[in-house]
Amino acid sequence: MKNQLKVLRANHGWSQAVLGEKLDVSRQTINAIETERYDPSLPLAFKIARLFKLPIESIFDGDLG
Amino acid sequence: MTTKQATRRYFQIFVPAMILYLVSTFGLNYLFDQPDIEIHIALKIAMSLVPICALLSLFWTHWRYMNDLDELLREIQIKGAFGGLAIVMLVATGWGALEKILDAPALEVFLLNPIFWVGYSVTTAYFTWRIVGFKE
Repeated sequence: MKNQLKVLRANHGWSQAVLGEKLDVSRQTINAIETERYDPSLPLAFKIARLFKLPIESIFDGDLG
Repeated sequence: MTTKQATRRYFQIFVPAMILYLVSTFGLNYLFDQPDIEIHIALKIAMSLVPICALLSLFWTHWRYMNDLDELLREIQIKGAFGGLAIVMLVATGWGALEKILDAPALEVFLLNPIFWVGYSVTTAYFTWRIVGFKE
């Protein structure tokens, strides 16, 4: 799933490890989401949205085509 | 809990349990093969429970490890376990058929345990490489 995670993370100046710590997931998971090799669960997507104070749909492109 | 902490917790149980499993398996096999040593059957059964307990510890620590990991790493572990199970089923069914049809030598059932772990390791490594990448 396309997402803005990498851009948002860069805007905050956080490394993947730091973002992983904030979300209580591994750096590998952050990397896999950013590179679109893994779609996060709904609870994790909500956690990400809350962390960046944005609606889910502005971070994740829910259009599965 | 971080992945590092979960992995450390896992190996704290895994390593001694695996050593106990291997030592007790080979040790008991050697002991039971000695013709001049007589051991009561009840004691033999009790001693045979040692590797089983070690094996139970291995599965328990693996279960805990899977619960400690985050959702992606847990998904990879579950795929690995399914891969291991699939390989065990394929070997058991395939070899079973060969034993029936071609009179192939009987497969020792305890070999299914290491076959599972090989299948699990290969599947986990494959999905780790595909989703996470080995550089990660």
